[in-house]
Amino acid sequence: MSLVSAEFLIFILISAGGYYLIPKRGQWIWLLAFSYLYYLSSGVGVVFFLLSGTLTTYVAGCSLEMLERSVGDTEIEKGTKKRKKKRVLILTLVFNFGILGILKYAGFFVENINLVFHTGFSFQTVLLPLGISFYTFQSMGYLLDVYWGKCKAEKNVFRFALFVSFFPQLLQGPIGRYDRLVEQLYRTHSFSMERIGFGAQRILWGYFKKLVLADRAGVVVNQVFQNYTDYMGITVMVAVLCYSIQLYADFSGGIDVVLGTAELFGITLDENFKRPFLAVSITDFWHRWHITLGTWMKDYVFYPLSLSKGMSRFGKWSKKRFGKKTGRVLPICAANIVVFLVVGIWHGAAWKYIVYGLYNGVLIALASLFAPVFRKGFEWTHIDPKSFGWKIVRIIRTFFLVNISWYFDMALSLSAAVTMIKNTVLGFRISALYDGTLLQLGLDRLDYIQLLIGVAVLFAVGILQEKGIRIRERISSYPLLIRWGIWMILLFSLPFFGYITAGKGGFIYAQF
Amino acid sequence: MEKLIEILEDIQPDADYENCTTLIDDGILESFAILSIVGELEDEFDISITPAEIIPENFNSAAALWAMVQRLQNE
Repeated sequence: MSLVSAEFLIFILISAGGYYLIPKRGQWIWLLAFSYLYYLSSGVGVVFFLLSGTLTTYVAGCSLEMLERSVGDTEIEKGTKKRKKKRVLILTLVFNFGILGILKYAGFFVENINLVFHTGFSFQTVLLPLGISFYTFQSMGYLLDVYWGKCKAEKNVFRFALFVSFFPQLLQGPIGRYDRLVEQLYRTHSFSMERIGFGAQRILWGYFKKLVLADRAGVVVNQVFQNYTDYMGITVMVAVLCYSIQLYADFSGGIDVVLGTAELFGITLDENFKRPFLAVSITDFWHRWHITLGTWMKDYVFYPLSLSKGMSRFGKWSKKRFGKKTGRVLPICAANIVVFLVVGIWHGAAWKYIVYGLYNGVLIALASLFAPVFRKGFEWTHIDPKSFGWKIVRIIRTFFLVNISWYFDMALSLSAAVTMIKNTVLGFRISALYDGTLLQLGLDRLDYIQLLIGVAVLFAVGILQEKGIRIRERISSYPLLIRWGIWMILLFSLPFFGYITAGKGGFIYAQF
Repeated sequence: MEKLIEILEDIQPDADYENCTTLIDDGILESFAILSIVGELEDEFDISITPAEIIPENFNSAAALWAMVQRLQNE
C-alpha cells in the first residue's frame, strides 16, 4: 500500500477515526492491529520476518535485564554476567542483521564470487520484506540501549511489537528511538482538531513534494541515467540537478506524509530532514539529510568503534608516529570512513554504493584532518570564516560536492558513474541549454517552469524554516480566508500541477 | 577542573566552557570533538569511557564532564 494511494488515505481515515472513537485505554492496541494490517497488505509471508525480529529482540531485551539484575557482587560473578550479556547481544545482532544481510546482500556476494573465481553459483533474489532495514535498525538500537543500560527493557511483548511495527514509519523511517517513542505510543490521546489539521497539512505538503516535484524531475533522471551513453555535458548536469530535486522531494516528501500521519495519532516522530541543501559542509549535510540514519550510525557504530580497544591502540600508535594533534584525529577519521562504508552498503548491494559511502567518509575525514591548515589559511588571507559571503561559498561548494556523490548513487553501475562524470566534463556545450536538447528528455517547457516554481516554493519555505519560523503555526495565525486559500492552492496544485501518470512507481526509499 | 578546561580549549577553541551548559544541544561540540575529548580524558585521568556515557547530560557543560570524570574515577 503506497503512501500515495487512495487505499492509504482510506486506511488512515479509518484507523485515525476509530482511534478517537474507541475507549482510550485500547488506543495503542488499535494502533498495533492496524500496523499489522498494514504490513499484511504487502503479503502474509513477510510478517514472518517482522515477527521473528520482534520476538528475538523482545526476548533478548528481557534476558539482558534479568542478567543485569541477577545477584553477583564479586569480580568473577560480574565478569560472568558481562560475558553472558555480551553473548545474548551478539547472538541477537547476528540473527537480525544476518537475515537483513542475507536477503539484501547474498546476491551481490554470489555475483562477485562468480566474477573472481569464475564459478557458476546462483542465488534467487527475493523481494525485500517491507521496511526491513528500518525496523531492524530501530529494534537493534533498542537492544543496544538496553545492553548499555540507557533504557529499561519492555516487558509487554505486544507493546514492544507496536514500537517495532508502528505503521507510518514502517515504510521509510524515520528510525525511531525507544526512549522518545515509548511514552507517546502507549499514552492515551484526546482528539484535537488543531493536531489533526497540522497532520493533514503536513501530509498535503509531502504529496506536493512527491507529485509536483519528485515525479516530474524523475522523468529527466530516468531518461539520462538509463541511457547514459547518449548524453553529454550540460544534459548530464541537468539530470544530476534533477536527481537532487527528485531524491530530496521524494524522500523528504514521504517523510512528511509519515510524520503527518503519526501526528493524526498524536505521535511526534523524529525529523529526518533539515534543509540539507543549505548545509555548509559534508558533515553538516549529514546532520540535515536522513538525520535518523546518521544519528543511529553515530550512536551505535561510530562511537562504539572509535572507543574500541583496537582503535585505542591505533590512537596511541598514531600519536607517537604523527604527534598529538594529528594522532588524536586519525583513529576518529578511520572510524568515520568505516561508518560511511556501512552507510554506503546500507543503500544497496553494489560497488557504486560502496564508493558513494567512501566518498562521503573520506571527504569528512579530510576536512577534519586539515582543519588546522584551513584555520591558518583564513589567518593568512584575512577571510572571516563566519561572514555571510563565506557561508554562501560553503553552501555552493557543499552542493557541488553532494551532486558529485549523486553520480555514484543513481548511475546504473560504478563504471556508468565514471563514464557520466567523464562525459559531463568532456562534452560540455553551453548551447544545450537553449537549443532544445533539454526538451527531448521527456519534459516540455511547461514542466520545467512548474519544476522551477516548485523548487522556488521549496527554497522559500526552507529559508523561512531556517530562520526558525514554524510555517504551519504561522499560517494558522492568519485570517480564515488567507489560511484556507494557502491550503487550497496547495491541494489543487496536486491534480493541476502534479506529474500524474498511469504506471507510477512508489517512493525511492520504500525499497530499503 | 582546570586541566579539563585546558583540554577542551585545546580541542575546540572559541567556546565559553566556564558558563555554557548547551555544548551538545547547540552543536558546539560535534562527534569528532567529543571523541577527541574522550580520548584525552581517558589518557589524562586514567578512566575508561564507554559509548553508554556519551549522552548530552554528560557533555553539555564542563561541569557535567567533570562530574562524569570524578564518577568514573571512583568506580
